[in-house]
Amino acid sequence: MSTTAEQVPSEVPATDPAALLAPAPVGSGLDRRTVLRGLGLAVVVLVVGLFVPDVISDPTNMGIATDGVVLGILALSIGFLAHRSGLISLGHTAFYGASAYGLAIATTSWDWSPMQAIVFAVLGGTVLGLVIGAFVVRTPGVSFLVLTLAIGQALHQLVVQDSVRETTGAYDGLAVTWGADDKVAGIAQADIGNAATFWPLAWVSLVVVLVVLWLVGRSRFGRVLEAIRENEERARFSGFNTYVPRLIAFTLSSAIASLAGALFALKASFVSPDTLSFVTAGDSLIAAIVGGFATLVGPLVGGVVYIYAQSELSDSGNLQLFTGIALVVAVVFLRGGIVGAVTDGGRKLRTIVQTRKGAGR
Amino acid sequence: MSTALQATGVTLRYGAVTAVSDVDISVAPGILHGVIGPNGAGKSSFMDALSGRRKLSAGTVKLGGQDITRRSVTWRRRNGMARSFQKTSVFGAMTVRTQLDMVARKTGEDDLDGIVDALSLRPYLDEVCSSIAYGHQRRVDIAMALLGRPTVVLLDEPGAGLSVEESAQMFDHIRALCTDRDVAVVLVEHDVEGVFRVCDEITVLNLGAVLASGTPAEVRAHPDVIEAYLGSEA
Repeated sequence: MSTTAEQVPSEVPATDPAALLAPAPVGSGLDRRTVLRGLGLAVVVLVVGLFVPDVISDPTNMGIATDGVVLGILALSIGFLAHRSGLISLGHTAFYGASAYGLAIATTSWDWSPMQAIVFAVLGGTVLGLVIGAFVVRTPGVSFLVLTLAIGQALHQLVVQDSVRETTGAYDGLAVTWGADDKVAGIAQADIGNAATFWPLAWVSLVVVLVVLWLVGRSRFGRVLEAIRENEERARFSGFNTYVPRLIAFTLSSAIASLAGALFALKASFVSPDTLSFVTAGDSLIAAIVGGFATLVGPLVGGVVYIYAQSELSDSGNLQLFTGIALVVAVVFLRGGIVGAVTDGGRKLRTIVQTRKGAGR
Repeated sequence: MSTALQATGVTLRYGAVTAVSDVDISVAPGILHGVIGPNGAGKSSFMDALSGRRKLSAGTVKLGGQDITRRSVTWRRRNGMARSFQKTSVFGAMTVRTQLDMVARKTGEDDLDGIVDALSLRPYLDEVCSSIAYGHQRRVDIAMALLGRPTVVLLDEPGAGLSVEESAQMFDHIRALCTDRDVAVVLVEHDVEGVFRVCDEITVLNLGAVLASGTPAEVRAHPDVIEAYLGSEA
């Protein structure tokens, strides 16, 4: 059919994002100026953030900051998937934990260098995400939530089996040890437990993740994800494949969760079945919700707040109670989480100030 | 005469209920083909069958001579068959501009401005779609079905939920776009007089089967139609 040949999108003259409908102030999208501005901001944030250990001198607080960033990265991966695809995962510990175990096994059992082990762990977690995603993204909604929960729990059960004790250490977990001469990002094993020393590695990872998520969110691909989330049937009837974009989003999300898992294992020099537990899955999802996953930094804020609360409240033995209260407050009163509430409040304040100014004249 | 859409023996069963029974339709480019019938006649089911939303129990659907009976809706849309929905289906959280732009790119539309103006959507381009009036959302839905110069467009009750004037305007829009873009349009509609006014051909469904089909004049004169559908007033 000759008319069909003329309709393939590749034959449309390549235009910049705003050209089809002129004049077109495209609300979202990635023109060169936006990208450069974003990257510029990222570089500033990256550099400024590296000085955090100079400001926070107390090792306990520095530990909170570092752990918060690592949990924040995990929460970001979950929040990204929830926000862009509408898929709520209770099984991201599968990738987080698998990557942590992968790192421990590669360093301790196979004597790999920590850098090789990180690459292996993150790649492994990502491939696992791709394989699992190929099945689970077909079924959105509650069945997705239940399937991911089941897969996370299955993996947890797998590593605590007696038959794999040799490999995973079962309930005892695994120590992460690597050669005395090997270093990761300039850090030797002896120093890696020091939060201030570990900080640059966590911070650089975080900024890279934020930049990637920002770019993806604003790209044309991000727009397609939003369309699929909004109305999958209409998306299909508009010529979009709705499976592949969701799978890509899921795989990217699992890659980020894997990165968080590798960082966690490095920092703790130890992995236990807790990395795969339901509690970890729940906590990271709650961090994403309480922080507010509709914004870029919301889940990160949620992660840091969670770790801080944990250190302050766990002595009382009531951490889960307060976590529950925080979740209820966030869901009922702060639509959009902490960050959503702050930006909303800021916007309202600005409107009030502007109205006052206007009235004063 | 070449046909853009040719469906034969279209049958759709839900369990023991037969919603569409052995319906044939053939529509040429530039032709506006109306499908009317009382409530429960199987109009929307017929639309779902043609568009691939539901699997046929029997029959074939051909697009430009090619058998597409087993093709996915994504494939159909990319190869020239588009549809709108009775219950307006848009991307609610996006602006009108964003979603039209996105679909225009996907489908390779070269005259998005033309469609926007033909459907009088320009004033609403930067509004979030769920915030504009229902009639406007309806036109966004139809605009998305027309983007990328599909050869066949299936419109499921485009007048539903609109006021009398809005509905009449909508039919004029559709008539003009059908002719201008030389597209075969199947229009399922409740508003019988609107269909008689703008359509080139009409098929009347009753209880899932074809009661009559032909030009508006032929259908209007058909004794079964007068008997079963238009009643004594015709």
